[in-house]
Amino acid sequence: MRRLHKSLGPIELLLVALLGCAALPAQAQAPAGNQAPAGNQAAALTAGTSEDWAKRLAALETAPDLDVPALRHQAMERVKSRADNQSLKRPLVAPQLLKLPQLVAEINFDADAAVVRPDSYRVLGRIADTLTHPSMLGYKFLIVGHTVSTGRRDVNLSLSQRRADVIREVLVNTFKINPKRLLSLGLGEEQLLDSARPASPANQRVHLMTVGMIEAHAPAAAPAAAAPAKAGAQKPKR
Amino acid sequence: MNWIRTIFVLLAVAASSPALAQTMKYEDSAALLGASCAKDIEANCRGVNLDPTRMKDCLSRNQDVLSPQCKSDYGKAFEAIQKRVAARQSVFKLCERDIVKLCGVTDKNDRTKALECLIAGPRGIGINCNKSVVEAGYR
Repeated sequence: MRRLHKSLGPIELLLVALLGCAALPAQAQAPAGNQAPAGNQAAALTAGTSEDWAKRLAALETAPDLDVPALRHQAMERVKSRADNQSLKRPLVAPQLLKLPQLVAEINFDADAAVVRPDSYRVLGRIADTLTHPSMLGYKFLIVGHTVSTGRRDVNLSLSQRRADVIREVLVNTFKINPKRLLSLGLGEEQLLDSARPASPANQRVHLMTVGMIEAHAPAAAPAAAAPAKAGAQKPKR
Repeated sequence: MNWIRTIFVLLAVAASSPALAQTMKYEDSAALLGASCAKDIEANCRGVNLDPTRMKDCLSRNQDVLSPQCKSDYGKAFEAIQKRVAARQSVFKLCERDIVKLCGVTDKNDRTKALECLIAGPRGIGINCNKSVVEAGYR
């Protein structure tokens, strides 16, 4: 060993030391992604790693025959006709969605706007990690937006659709997820996540569901043809 | 003793290369932006979503009023996202031959199967292909 040390000149030792040091930051970053906020129920919904989330979403046995535009229309018609006016007794507008592999992501938005708050960027990044996990690359997903039952039903329906659209746009424009893999649907207050407490913030969360396999992968995800990910009411300063 | 010295240096390079090259998870990059710039975004870019063009432009236009933390991190965060996107897209270009020859995957659409094979590191995998798998954060 002593002979080996002797055989290494100062330049080689410096090189080895530099390489070792340079490697450290990348290794040190790895656990950061695994940190989950501890504590309350809301934190529990943002917990887990993208690997955990991928496992939850991969359990699709048979692809459902899902017509998303029809579901959107159905929700709109129900709101227009003012059917099932009492939110506590309102039946689910799309019960078939509950059978799909899914998770609820806690994403905070600006009030009455389709703008994701910076404290939820981590969750958006984790969704992107999940959707680009090797085991997930063949799947299509549905992003479902919900709202609480305060305010007007039609406004809530439209807001939830814009929020689901914005998440899709962020995933496509920022993380370059193939747009063919992502569908979006707003259900407003027509399918409450916590139907016993219609005004609970738990009802504002976003569902991510596996809805099938993609027929053909695009070679590389192109930027979304849809409108850019801006939907806020206020303009940036300057 | 020259050969021992050469082997030692090569081993050190090989051992440290993957850690050097691995790109950041999207979750960590996005969290960096959210944590460093939350107040700056609230104050100067309200209404703008996490978008590589609009958000970056807005923060850049407001450089002179940004907090030092945000000023130092927002570029890094977007660059890290861009690097991982590029790394993930290049895997299938750089590994095209290995996917067919070593993994036996002829269906270009079966990316899951191709990646599972590349992650396992088949014998004879090309240097550039192997490097791209690591850079993309798949291994």
